[in-house]
Amino acid sequence: MTSSSASLFPRLAEEGGHAVPVIHQVPADGVFALLWVIIALPALGAAIILLGGGNRTKGFAHLLGCATVLGSFAISLVSFFALLGRDETDRSVGQFLWTWVDAGSFRADMALLYDPLSALFLLLITGVGSLIHLYSIGYMEHDERRARFFGYLNLFVAAMLMLVLSDNYLGVFLGWEGVGLASYLLIGFWQHKPSAAVAAKKAFVVNRVGDIGMALGTMLVFATFGTVAFAPVSEVAGEAPTATMTALGLLFLLAACGKSAQVPLQSWLLDAMEGPTPVSALIHAATMVTAGVYLVVRSNFIYDYTEVAQTAVVVVGTVTLLWGAIIGCAKDDIKKALAGSTMSQIGYMMLAAGLGPYGYAFAIFHLLTHGFFKANMFLGAGSVMHAMNDDVDMRHYGALQKAVPVTFLTFAMGYLAIIGFPGFSGFWSKDKIIEASFGESTLVGLCALVGAGITAFYMTRVMLMTFFGQKRWEEGVHPHESPKIMTVPLIVLAALSVLGGLLLFGDFVTDWLTPAVGAVAHHELAFAPWVFSLIVTVVVAVGVTIAWLTVGRNEVPRTAPQNVSFVTRAARADLYGDALNEELLMRPGDRFVTGLVGFDDKGVDGVVNGTGTAFAGMSGTFRKLQTGYVRSYALSVLSGAVLVVVALLAVNLT
Amino acid sequence: MTTLAVSPLLSESVGDFTKPSIEYFDLSPLLIIIGVALAGVIVEAFVPRRLRYVVQTLVAVVGTIAALVMTVFVALGLEPRGDNAGFGAIAAEGAIAVDGPTVFLWGTILVLTLISVFLFAERHLEGGVTAFAGQAAALPGTEAEREASTKGLEHTEVFPLMMFAVAGMLLFPASNDLITMFVALEILSLPLYLLCGLARRRRLLSQEAALKYFMLGAFSSGFFLYGIALVYGYAGSMNLGDIAEAVSGTIGADPLLLGGIGLLAVGLLFKVGAAPFHAWTPDVYQGAPTAVTAFMAACTKVAAFGALLRLFYVGFGAARWDWTPMIWVVAILTMATGCVLALTQSDIKRMLAYSSIAHAGFILTGFVGLNAVATPGTAELTSLQAVLFYLVTYGFMTIGAFAVVTVVRDSSGEATHLSRWSGLGKESPFVAGVFAFFLLGMAGIPLTSGFTGKWAVFTSAWQGGAWPLVVVAALLSAVAAFFYIRVIVLMYFSDPVGEGPTVVMPSVLTTIVIAVGFAATVALGVVPGPVLDLAAHAGQFVR
Amino acid sequence: MTAVQVVFVLLSLVAVVSALLVVTTPHLVHSALWLVVTLGAIAGVFLVLAAEFVAWVQVLIYVGAVVVLLLFALMLTRAPTGPQPDLTVRRWAPAAFVALLVAVLLGATLVAGFQDVRLDLDQAVVGSAEVTGETVFRRWVLPFEVLSVLLLAALVGAIVLSRLRSEDGDD
Repeated sequence: MTSSSASLFPRLAEEGGHAVPVIHQVPADGVFALLWVIIALPALGAAIILLGGGNRTKGFAHLLGCATVLGSFAISLVSFFALLGRDETDRSVGQFLWTWVDAGSFRADMALLYDPLSALFLLLITGVGSLIHLYSIGYMEHDERRARFFGYLNLFVAAMLMLVLSDNYLGVFLGWEGVGLASYLLIGFWQHKPSAAVAAKKAFVVNRVGDIGMALGTMLVFATFGTVAFAPVSEVAGEAPTATMTALGLLFLLAACGKSAQVPLQSWLLDAMEGPTPVSALIHAATMVTAGVYLVVRSNFIYDYTEVAQTAVVVVGTVTLLWGAIIGCAKDDIKKALAGSTMSQIGYMMLAAGLGPYGYAFAIFHLLTHGFFKANMFLGAGSVMHAMNDDVDMRHYGALQKAVPVTFLTFAMGYLAIIGFPGFSGFWSKDKIIEASFGESTLVGLCALVGAGITAFYMTRVMLMTFFGQKRWEEGVHPHESPKIMTVPLIVLAALSVLGGLLLFGDFVTDWLTPAVGAVAHHELAFAPWVFSLIVTVVVAVGVTIAWLTVGRNEVPRTAPQNVSFVTRAARADLYGDALNEELLMRPGDRFVTGLVGFDDKGVDGVVNGTGTAFAGMSGTFRKLQTGYVRSYALSVLSGAVLVVVALLAVNLT
Repeated sequence: MTTLAVSPLLSESVGDFTKPSIEYFDLSPLLIIIGVALAGVIVEAFVPRRLRYVVQTLVAVVGTIAALVMTVFVALGLEPRGDNAGFGAIAAEGAIAVDGPTVFLWGTILVLTLISVFLFAERHLEGGVTAFAGQAAALPGTEAEREASTKGLEHTEVFPLMMFAVAGMLLFPASNDLITMFVALEILSLPLYLLCGLARRRRLLSQEAALKYFMLGAFSSGFFLYGIALVYGYAGSMNLGDIAEAVSGTIGADPLLLGGIGLLAVGLLFKVGAAPFHAWTPDVYQGAPTAVTAFMAACTKVAAFGALLRLFYVGFGAARWDWTPMIWVVAILTMATGCVLALTQSDIKRMLAYSSIAHAGFILTGFVGLNAVATPGTAELTSLQAVLFYLVTYGFMTIGAFAVVTVVRDSSGEATHLSRWSGLGKESPFVAGVFAFFLLGMAGIPLTSGFTGKWAVFTSAWQGGAWPLVVVAALLSAVAAFFYIRVIVLMYFSDPVGEGPTVVMPSVLTTIVIAVGFAATVALGVVPGPVLDLAAHAGQFVR
Repeated sequence: MTAVQVVFVLLSLVAVVSALLVVTTPHLVHSALWLVVTLGAIAGVFLVLAAEFVAWVQVLIYVGAVVVLLLFALMLTRAPTGPQPDLTVRRWAPAAFVALLVAVLLGATLVAGFQDVRLDLDQAVVGSAEVTGETVFRRWVLPFEVLSVLLLAALVGAIVLSRLRSEDGDD
């Protein structure tokens, strides 16, 4: 992959004019002194609800949960405008809280960094978070453990805010693990479903693989620069050897793959849909899964110095955007179809982030618009499920546009946004990414373009199967519109999905992000930008048409047909991601463990297992077993000792 | 060397006997603990039986607190010494080094001992008697045993025995020569062998554990002794300072020295439970009364790592490049053994035993890290500090976790089989939550002490250039997360089997232990600064 | 060869030969008794090397206590006192191998550690009771005193493990 990168991506070799931004922090005064409160509010909410116990807080937990997040949103909003009023050079505000770890030069502070990048994330997390909290009041109304649910949600928000506000990698790691934990708890929230427990465990385990990357990366940063804070690292990043930067970039990419469900660590996201739908919307669509993109963009001062890692990011993003899109085409479970789409869209963001200064700003832009429209659609899906007695199979839907009109209309806004219908938010953000990737290499650009077409196909399929066509409802299902508390957030999100593109108006978002990620670089393109827009729109139209021809015109069978093409079968099986994992990782691991355990059982453990199970007649066998096995322990000690001594002598006397 | 007369072993000149100087103040924590142990023996002889439990507990608690207070005073009185950034002095005619690390370890061991005493004294869980055998001499399953249990007999000797062990643990990391170290090793081990065999329930398992521990312990002591002999043959002295001088004066490797290092390492690595000398750990941890397991897992490891650090940094510091590869191999083996074999354990105590093996491996990772000699306060994060800190975090988590194990019970005593733990989250969300927290701590999730501890040892190792080791350690700690999570999943997401486990409400004693363990795990995760600082200010070993 | 050396060699021979008899005699009791001879001869060797204190300790503890303990154990466990032909013939080869290995190991250690050390017998004071006493109570006073704690702990342990309480239970 790395050896062929030079020819594949000529752009990376000729970079040089771009200035990698250095973070200059100014002290937090005025409203910025309240930065820590943004995190503290939801953390406090979580603490009260979770430590207070489910029964005592039952009456007010949902209100408290919403209030804390809304409070954070208010402060974020005020801070945002305050930052807007500042000079471009003063837009990185640092707030020192306390020294977390201090032992001589090994020092890590609990300190916050509020800059244009984190400002946007704050708005997304607290804004969309507030809406989803409100929605959950209605969605979880009949759940026994609603109080606990809000506790977990608050915990998640606090951790996510920590992740994007921290001024150092260690703090990011803290938030990183925190969101992982909250996500684990929420995926497995419905404990009574075994599948939920399995999914939760899988998410946790896969994420641990990514976390290794994060942990090692952080340590390597510390070993290289003597600090883990962004600002000092960004100052001296240019002086570090390229090999180190490449290692760092790859480690953080591994981390990002885990958290953002990118190939090859993508498998957990589809299963994560076992969690309650608001969780899917908040964590597994709008915020947490974008943490990987945040990490890459935040570490721009690392990636800008390593072409290899950038290339790797591009490759991962490109593969994932196609991978997710293909999976999305074959799923009958509405949430899983949307999850595939999430993977795919994050693939776009990764791709953009991998383009370096050509794409950072667009990655964030797409991240924001995606946060709006995907949260919108997930909540819409939740509303549909609410109407259909929690059935998720789209083959049991159909003709719902009359039954749930508000949901239908808002979902349609999200749909138009994601496929990139001209004028809607997704159109602006995705278009920019495709354009920039054509500048990178034609191959990557074509992949992104094809991805847009597939996106149009599967989203149209979801739309048609759910809201149009014949009624295929189960017996006894009487769809009804959701209560106001659920539809109002939908309407707000739908509005944002439509209007999100305004952020690009006058290049606002790119200029805004310049202090954090550097100015946007532009390629010399073969065509004018509007030609690209036209091409993309045509491809999208083709995708929609194909969907109409294959799904819309025909009767949708109530059970999934089995005699389908290989591609469909593969896509239904998540492109064999799990099978691959199992074959490559779990089987050998299992075998290894079984072997070891077999050895341990027979050679070492037999006694205890034997005695443990067979209390009867133990005293008789006891002595017999005893002598044999202490002997074997002693033998292992002896051989260990011989090994140690021989090794010492061999190493030192040769 | 021409005559034996120069041998420092017997180097005193004949003539007027001068009194040995014993620094009573500096040694006061150790002396107090020995005094408490002796007082315990006297109590056993003269106090009426019905009062013994109360008196013994009081003596142990008060004595430990007194020793702790004296430790603080000793720490405040340490003077700078030498040019290697150390504090403290050599006491008792060169037998003991009372320096920063010693005092830090003393404090750690004494605090952990204090809460272990509470576990030992818990009487509520067994219906009014302690968890120790009522009549150790009665054979299991005999009339005498039944009689002992109906009469509510109990062995209050466990308290003096424990204090004897603590005395050994205090002496072990402080010993400045190999003889003292060996004596300390024996003093800490012997009472533990006994305590392991005193379980009230599952006595055969317990006695088996004691016997195994004893035989293998004696076996490893043999290695240690032989190592001493080799090193003495090499250096002509037992004193760590003299050994260090001899080592740094040697050019090239000496088989005598290398053999000695190897064998001494075997003796110490056995005590910390490092692979391939770990085989005893699961059996003994499982068989021993859980209170003893908690005490042993926490305190022995602290003491033994202290001794390991002192021996290798002070005595063999100059031969660092000779023994580092060996520690690398042992560390990797230990982590791998602990993490991998823990995956399939079906008994909670065995799982925790393997987890403790894995922790030993992580500590060993820190052990080979940066060993910079620096000035106090501005010091780098040296291996010493990282390891000291990790030991504190590990000790509290371990005692807390085992304390939770004691309260989850069924009709036959503690329900240690993992299947009995399924559904505990529904049965008792609070206990399950606390235990889950300890497990998360051991897995190294941020904001728990386990994370900061791991972070500290990994960083020091990385700075010391041992990055491949850190990579392996990070990978294996991810594997380790599996089995911790497995238990959490079991507790929260599985349905109870049969009647399910019951959580017996313990007395205030065990509650305190769990609370302290929990509080320490949280505090050291959120604001580890003060303790890390303290570890940094402990400075270097003196010699 | 001086007279001292002759005595040394003779004592060593006695020690080695009796040690061989310890492991080859078919009588358990004889074996214990031959052990007395071995240990006694070694005490003699110590004496010749001017280590008078160690020599007496050897006699008191090993010849006196250890062997007596051994004999007691033989009597209490009612071990057969007659000759047992199968006592020494099984697995003699690996045992001999291990013994040889240990001997070589110890010998090599001694040679490597003390090859250039010479003992001047005329002025040797190292092994006298006076010197030993002084060293033990000055340089090694702490480990020495702490050892008594170890013995006490062992004593307590032995009582715990072996003593059945009296019926009325108020001891």
